[in-house]
Amino acid sequence: MNRLLAALLLAAPLAAQDARTIVDESQKRSRADSQRYEGTLEVIDSKRKVTTKKWIYERLGSAGESKAVLRFTAPAEVKGVALLIHNHPDRASDQWMWTPAVQRERRIAFQDRRTRFFGTDFTFEDLEERDVDRSSYKLLGEETLMGALCWKIESTPKAEAKSQYSRVTFWIRKDNYVLTQAECFGREKTDKLVRRIRYSDIEKVQGIFTPRMFEVRDEERESTTVMKVERLQYNTSMPAERFTLQALRRDQ
Amino acid sequence: MIQLSNVTKEFDGKRTVRALQGVSLQIRKGEMVSLVGPSGSGKSTLLNLIGTLDKPTSGEITLDGQLLSGLTDDQLTQVRRDKIGFIFQFFNLLPSLSCLENVALPLHLRGWKKAKASERARELLTLVNLDHRIEHLPDELSGGERQRVAIARALSVYPPILLADEPTGNLDTHTGAEILSLVRDLHQRLGATVLMVTHDRSVAESCARTIILRDGQVVEDINREPRL
Amino acid sequence: MMLLRLISWPYVRKHLLRALLTTAGIVLGVAVFVGMHTANQSVLYAFNRTVDRIAGATQLQVTAGEIGFSEDVLERVQAQPDVEVAVPVIEATVQTGIAGQGNLLVLGVDMTGDRSLRDYDLEKADDTIVDDPLVFIAQPDSIIVSRQFTERTGLKLNSKLTMQTMQGPRQFTIRGVMNSEGLASAFGGSLAVMDIYAAQLVFGRGRRFDRIDISLHPGIKVDDARRRLQSALGSGFEVDTPSSRGQQFEAVAQVYSMNATLTSIFALFIGLFLIYNTFSIAVTQRRNEIGILRALGASSGLVKRLFLAESAITGLIGSTIGIGVGILIARGLATYLGTFFAEVYGVGEKAQEVSADPKLLLSALFIGVGTSVVAGWLPARNAARVDPVKALQKGRVQVITEGESRLRRNLALLLLAGAVACATLGHVRIFFYSGYMLNVLAVLLLTPALCIWLGKALRPLLKWLRPVEGALAADSLLQSPRRTSGTVAALSLSVALVVGLGGIAKASYESIRSWMDAALSPDFFITGSETITQRSIRFPEELAGEFRKVPGVEEVQAVRTARILYSGTPVMLVAADLRSLAERVRLQVIEGDGATMYKRAERGEGVVLSDNFALLRKVKTGDVLELPAPDGMVKMPVLGVVLDYSDQNGTILMDRGAYKKYWGDPTVNAFRIYLNAGEDRAAMRQKLLDQFGGRTRLFIMTNAELKQYITNLTDQWFGLTYVQIFVAVLVAILGIVNTLTVSIADRKRELGVLQAVGGLRNQIRQTIWMEAIAIGVLGLAIGFALGAVHLYYILEVTRRDLAGMRLDYRYPFAIAATLIPVILGSALFSAIGPAETAVRGSLVEALEYE
Repeated sequence: MNRLLAALLLAAPLAAQDARTIVDESQKRSRADSQRYEGTLEVIDSKRKVTTKKWIYERLGSAGESKAVLRFTAPAEVKGVALLIHNHPDRASDQWMWTPAVQRERRIAFQDRRTRFFGTDFTFEDLEERDVDRSSYKLLGEETLMGALCWKIESTPKAEAKSQYSRVTFWIRKDNYVLTQAECFGREKTDKLVRRIRYSDIEKVQGIFTPRMFEVRDEERESTTVMKVERLQYNTSMPAERFTLQALRRDQ
Repeated sequence: MIQLSNVTKEFDGKRTVRALQGVSLQIRKGEMVSLVGPSGSGKSTLLNLIGTLDKPTSGEITLDGQLLSGLTDDQLTQVRRDKIGFIFQFFNLLPSLSCLENVALPLHLRGWKKAKASERARELLTLVNLDHRIEHLPDELSGGERQRVAIARALSVYPPILLADEPTGNLDTHTGAEILSLVRDLHQRLGATVLMVTHDRSVAESCARTIILRDGQVVEDINREPRL
Repeated sequence: MMLLRLISWPYVRKHLLRALLTTAGIVLGVAVFVGMHTANQSVLYAFNRTVDRIAGATQLQVTAGEIGFSEDVLERVQAQPDVEVAVPVIEATVQTGIAGQGNLLVLGVDMTGDRSLRDYDLEKADDTIVDDPLVFIAQPDSIIVSRQFTERTGLKLNSKLTMQTMQGPRQFTIRGVMNSEGLASAFGGSLAVMDIYAAQLVFGRGRRFDRIDISLHPGIKVDDARRRLQSALGSGFEVDTPSSRGQQFEAVAQVYSMNATLTSIFALFIGLFLIYNTFSIAVTQRRNEIGILRALGASSGLVKRLFLAESAITGLIGSTIGIGVGILIARGLATYLGTFFAEVYGVGEKAQEVSADPKLLLSALFIGVGTSVVAGWLPARNAARVDPVKALQKGRVQVITEGESRLRRNLALLLLAGAVACATLGHVRIFFYSGYMLNVLAVLLLTPALCIWLGKALRPLLKWLRPVEGALAADSLLQSPRRTSGTVAALSLSVALVVGLGGIAKASYESIRSWMDAALSPDFFITGSETITQRSIRFPEELAGEFRKVPGVEEVQAVRTARILYSGTPVMLVAADLRSLAERVRLQVIEGDGATMYKRAERGEGVVLSDNFALLRKVKTGDVLELPAPDGMVKMPVLGVVLDYSDQNGTILMDRGAYKKYWGDPTVNAFRIYLNAGEDRAAMRQKLLDQFGGRTRLFIMTNAELKQYITNLTDQWFGLTYVQIFVAVLVAILGIVNTLTVSIADRKRELGVLQAVGGLRNQIRQTIWMEAIAIGVLGLAIGFALGAVHLYYILEVTRRDLAGMRLDYRYPFAIAATLIPVILGSALFSAIGPAETAVRGSLVEALEYE
């Protein structure tokens, strides 16, 4: 999923001091040719009201040049709605949404990627993968987080990345290069903390350290989305044809 | 001809003014009477009452045997039409009408045919020596001439009573005398009863009878032989 | 100031009624001026505010008339470097089927991105439900409505709401409620938001958008971006700010504005005469007082200034009242004008509050006071000329007007000559309007002379009626033309105004009626909405074929009407089957060859224009029109001009083939259906409804219903005219009351003398009554004549500058005839009061009256 999610999905112990190298290594360790999982999302809003959604996520290709399809399976009202993402190493991804009821796909315009992803606390931007080179990194030091010693790294998106964030702080575990937390700071006015993502329940699946639980906290809306990753599989075979608009139209 | 018994007239304003207080008097047919008195003594009021322009607060007025009390405005106008001719100090001619039309006006109001009214008006204007001014507008006449037109108008129906309110008051002495002699002349010729309000002593004394008013009451009633 | 209080105020207080009546003209003039313009501004303001609310943060909008454009334009727009956010929009007006709720403006927007442009201000409490755009988008029946709407209808979140769509009545689910601010407050909350792709489906847009809303990157100048976008997209598109929609509205409202301005000028003119009249008489009456002032050392300049100050104050009071009345009028008018919203949006919005522009009020005040001071000028000059010695001599009247009237007459003749000269140069606009002005002025200046002539002519008649009273009345008129002519002038202006307005209404009705008989020949008109002006719901073209197959249907004509911009003005494009139309409809041909022009237009060789288009846009046969189409300007030669009143701004008649070719839009607004002879219309209508009503939303109007509808629209248009007629008559009546009141006061002594020398009360009454009637007759006579001239000019104005309607000169005899009893009756009526005062007052006082 997003570069953070993507990043956290890989892990390999390697001693590295340079911030960029650490991030690179972290990504490398989570690399897989394909990925499939079923996510259960719970959105808990400021009033403690909970809504649940489920999706199936499939990804083909490695970070930077991957294609992904996200298909909602629950609740009933949204079943069949799908999102197709084509990531590019050098530019923002292309995203299309398919709504079965009107038999229409719609392009998610680049301008809209800061908007929340359909009632979750992710934004469309959070869902795309980005090349490591599109940000610059600075090692801020080391910190213990959730009982593990982490590198604290500040990433600043380069201008051409046109990110909604002014900077993102990562915590990457020193022992297994797994990303455990990211704090995203907004661009508008003050660089205020707008979103915090925590990764937990880290398990080794097919040799890759993978968090099974995501927690996205939107600080502005005081809303939290918790996603459980289930039936995670790496490197299963998937036809490339599945990641096209035609396929989207066909297998609604 | 004119009979007043105990006539009182009050004017209601911020404070009631009693202009006439229980005036009783009698003027016989054919008399020529002057009414004198200082300003505010009630002479004009008395004249207006007799002329039916106004109604007394109390008391009774009889004109030519007709009792005025209880008559409606239109009935009073009817009395005025038939019995009274007015001569005003300021002439009160209608500026847009010629002398002839001014004189014929009362006749028109009485519904006279135009030809007949004109004939009478001419006759009257001749009587007041204005036959050469018939088509002139009042503005084109001198004061004396205007008053003569006014007199002709007052005489239009040969009323038995002629009321004059300071007829010479707005004229110079010479013209005043002329007008006065005209009135006297007409009085003698037509035999009308004349009641004339005046300030002018000599005018007053030229009448056979002079009534003097003060503070709304008759203080003196002088009968004299008319001077000639 | 002291003088005003000591000298003027007691006089005014004594004649309070008269003073009030004097201001009547100013009051009405200012009231009409303020009322009309305030209403206009308020509606415009409300309109702009609505536009703003709907536009949100939109800085520029891309449109292509009402036709819309294909989806790929969106990406072209989004690719522009200036554009930060560009979102597509569809607007449609639907009926909700809820009694008393009227129409709902449905805004179709892209819920994935639009929120950066518009703040929907969704209710916090239901955040998670409403704010779940996923459900919203996944379910095409989702709509967001305003809180006001839910309050009015009792509907709640997740309630069902039935709306009329192109697919017939459909149920929608309320999945969001907007708080009643910003967007949701437009149209009093009669507004709903839905997903644009669902909207395309239910409103028959295919893969097209109506509009794209744009916000620019910070720091980019809107005007620069507009130019760059325009050149990038080509001339088939309009790139403009949201407020330009207001400008289009302004163009429509302008007609009303001009009309109202004309009326207020007339009313002020009338007011001018009323004031002139009253002041002239006041100067005569107060001669004595002026004499005393002068004797006490006041200079003639001071006296003049005193009177001018009085007239200024009169004007000030009149204007102030007028402004108040005007704002009241504005309230009513604003509602009335609000119907224009329906023309543009399909949903009427009232101006919530009428807010008057201080600048407007100030200018109204200025106009009112100015008029009053102008009116008081001559009387003030006369007052200054009063000779103190003569004035103090009792019983003498100083005549000061002799030279003036001759001067006036000469001036009038000069003006008349000027007017005639201008008439020969009438094709030049400035001369035309000057001629108009000169004509009116000349007649007004001639009024005193005319009064005398007519008065003399009238005398025998009056005398014949009542020998004594008639003659007296006529003489009274003749003796003081100055006193009378003011009223007569005011009265004749009113009459002329009424004749003009009535004439134009009559001519318009006749023209529209004969056009309707020629143009509206089908048995049925099938539309997608109850109002034919509503074009947001359209049919697929294929429906025509299906209608044709219905037994009993002889012919079907598919018509697409759309507003497009022709050099900045919204005009009506009518795309129809010209071959069939030419056979069925016989529009009067103004220019071009009636036999061939339709055939040529059918081959796409050009267009046929309506007469008003040709007149207003100044084009003629042979000219080439450039029309904005999606792929750039389409050049269409004008093949002919026909008489057609379909649209106020003009129509372009084009063959459907050409329209589809250049605009790529196969949809249809209306079908014109001809039945076989002898078919039962009611049965056929039912048959069509049964057959098609289930799957598509359609309304069937019969020929008679449509004609009635258009007649009603016309009535509505002229509703304002009737208001103006009413105002004009009212001013006329007030004018008569004023003059008679003044005139009786002026003649108190004269009337006293009449009574003293034996006039009966009835004679006095009848004299006054007859004088009043005589004034009425004079006013009518001059007014009818002036009206004839006025009508000529106003028809010309309508043709040249307002509606482009070629109207026949038809003197409105019926209205003129109605005016006779109205004016004479009100003259008589207004004489009753003064007459009674005259006969009931004290004779003694009257005789001493000075």
